[in-house]
Amino acid sequence: MIAAPSNRRRTRLVEGLLFWAFRIGTYFVLLCATYIFLDIGIKGSRTVFTRTAPFVNLTFLSEPPQTLYVFDYQGKKMELSDRQFRDWKTTHKEEVDVTSVSYSAGGIWPCIVGTALLVIGSMTLALFIGISCAIYLSEYSRDGRFIRLIRVAILNLAGVPSIVFGLFGFGLFVIFFGWNVSLLSGWFTLGLMVLPAIITASEESLRAVPQGLREGSLALGATKWQTIRKNVLPYALPGILTSSILGIARVAGETAPIMFTAAYAMRDEMPWQVSHWTNFFFQGVMALPYHIYVVSSKIPQNEYTERVQYGTAFVFLVVVMLIALTSILLREKQRRRLSW
Amino acid sequence: MVLALITIFLFREGFGFFGQNLANLRLYRRAGLEYVDIIRGQAQTHAALSRQLGEIRLEEMRALSSGGNLEAFDQFAGAFSDSGEFLNALVSDANDQALALREALIAAGTPSAVSSAEAQPSTGIAAPIDPRASMIALRSADDKFPKIAEAMKAKIDSLLTAPPVLSNLKAKQSFESWKKKTRDYLAQLPPVSQRLREWDPDKPVPAYRAITAFLFGTDWVTASFWQDWYGIIPLLVGSIMVATVALLLAVPLGVCSAIYVSEVAARSEKSLIKPYIEFISAIPSVVLGFFGIAVVGQAVRALSQMPFMKWVPFFPISERLNVFTAGSLLALMAVPTIFTLAEDALQNVPRGFKEASYALGANRLQTIARVLVPASLSGIISAVLLGLGRVIGETMVVLLCAGNRIAIPDFTQGLGAFFQPVHTMTGIIAQEMGEVVRGSIHYRALFMVGLVLFALTLGINYLAQRLVARYRMSIG
Repeated sequence: MIAAPSNRRRTRLVEGLLFWAFRIGTYFVLLCATYIFLDIGIKGSRTVFTRTAPFVNLTFLSEPPQTLYVFDYQGKKMELSDRQFRDWKTTHKEEVDVTSVSYSAGGIWPCIVGTALLVIGSMTLALFIGISCAIYLSEYSRDGRFIRLIRVAILNLAGVPSIVFGLFGFGLFVIFFGWNVSLLSGWFTLGLMVLPAIITASEESLRAVPQGLREGSLALGATKWQTIRKNVLPYALPGILTSSILGIARVAGETAPIMFTAAYAMRDEMPWQVSHWTNFFFQGVMALPYHIYVVSSKIPQNEYTERVQYGTAFVFLVVVMLIALTSILLREKQRRRLSW
Repeated sequence: MVLALITIFLFREGFGFFGQNLANLRLYRRAGLEYVDIIRGQAQTHAALSRQLGEIRLEEMRALSSGGNLEAFDQFAGAFSDSGEFLNALVSDANDQALALREALIAAGTPSAVSSAEAQPSTGIAAPIDPRASMIALRSADDKFPKIAEAMKAKIDSLLTAPPVLSNLKAKQSFESWKKKTRDYLAQLPPVSQRLREWDPDKPVPAYRAITAFLFGTDWVTASFWQDWYGIIPLLVGSIMVATVALLLAVPLGVCSAIYVSEVAARSEKSLIKPYIEFISAIPSVVLGFFGIAVVGQAVRALSQMPFMKWVPFFPISERLNVFTAGSLLALMAVPTIFTLAEDALQNVPRGFKEASYALGANRLQTIARVLVPASLSGIISAVLLGLGRVIGETMVVLLCAGNRIAIPDFTQGLGAFFQPVHTMTGIIAQEMGEVVRGSIHYRALFMVGLVLFALTLGINYLAQRLVARYRMSIG
């Protein structure tokens, strides 16, 4: 059936218009995201970078958050952090009219450390449990009703909102086990949260190892465990780790699960300043995402808070985005190489 | 297997809390609430009256602002609000009595209820108030109320015979309707006193009330001196509204870009767009929420105040943080999910379908609209469902940007309801969990909210999986 020429021209016009609409829609999304990156990037870099010598605001990156004191002194506007203000007080005896802005001086070093600790601990935990699960599921288990049930459970667990994980962690680890707000509770909560993603990724990597490698090893008289350890895991491990990097981004980025399991709004000691080494696991830490939440909603807003907000958001975004970028690039590379 | 255990534990934990919550609610109701309920109803009728009055007054004022002969109306309104004085006094009296009674009952009731946990006798109560005596004191309102109602009726009737003259037509109309409402109110006073008389403090509360009060309760009031209510409806409505806005924005964009990338875009474009959208999905939600507070909220309000937006009836909006702000940011989170899954679904359509369509002389648009989209429809729908699951479960963005006002938005404003602040299920857990007393009813109520959320997302995911499974079978 051949349409009349005018009709055909019209359909072509409609087609072109619609395709342009699709194109605009797609680029609209990209533009929105770019705008967010640029806004946070530009305003944040004002805090993080400086014009002078080291070009990086070292105080911001290496000191704990402090209260900022703002006041007029002899016609000059002074902005001093907590410690500086106390020093200043010892030399200047006058009364000054001080506005104090919490969290807005100093830096975010404890938050960076806390996030790093949380990520390392929970990923170790999740990788350990996740890989064992995947090995069991893909190597040992036989297809049955129980296994199918487990698979359904994993799939569903992946869709559970992070706040529910937080609630669960709070109920189980913090209260039921009595660990209180601590690194350990945070590790377990976050670890459980990324577990489904890691199990799925590990299983896929294990499946990708050709059957011939296993059969060869078994034919040479190796036991099943020897085969898995020597001949399957080494080949699957790069793939597992690559896919897990995205899990790291998720662990680092989530706020809701650690809100009441691991994060403190403010803590003066650094995590390694503990009286006994076992206390290390039972201490709360500051974390970047929670810090952003605190500074952007828990304290009154003014022109001084914006600096620390954008600075923290910038550092956080850069860290998470670098992790995500690594993961995406590695995966693209792996996809291209994926052939046995 | 660790994982199955976790799932089971999650369920068990949740349902354990469910049972306890139910028992708690029931105990709570029995302990003191039922006495207070009727008085509260009374107070609410009165509150409604005074609010009505205030509204009408405001309206009249606004209408008359040019005329200036407010004096007569002010007199009228003043006399009217005075007529409620005695009722107010009664309410506050009854209020105090009921509170004292509740306190006494809790003091007397708690040790017996938890006697297994705390064996020691309740020596702490210094002067135990006799519940019966105070109940009788409370019941004296039975007689007082009709008298006051009678007096008020007479007063208002005499007021209504000489209504103030209104110049404005619209004001006249609203005044007429107000008069009618007032008459209705006066007419329902006798039945109320009847109900007061009939009310019996010892009537048992059925067990299902504990569940229905939670599921259909329209109030979420915590830590008030009077009575705490845990109704999930305002939170549920908030969550659903935010999700609606997010999906309305995200579905067209996500599906559009999926079709564009998989069918229209050139190869180089494709290799750029796809990772970028995946990259978007890695933006931490708290950063988006912060961005919403810092930029989007301001922008939306500024836009609504622009003169060229005057034609929209509910603009300018007053709240910076509202449903729309949160929804539009969540849309950005949902787009990558929808895009990735929908694109997969489109890619999975067998090549033959497309080739056959081209062979029949269809152009690209016809192929997409008639062949590819229908063939991958269930995949696309399941992508949308998973996006919905993600949006409903998202915490930080709504906590930071939805405004956190626990109330069902005023739907009489039509679409304007989407520019009002709400509170959501995820937000309330995050906000209040840190502050509640462990093991209290509030704490358990939050766990119940979490359970509802869990069940909701589980249901959505299950539906999505079913769809995908069916779709695989029909194509494969």
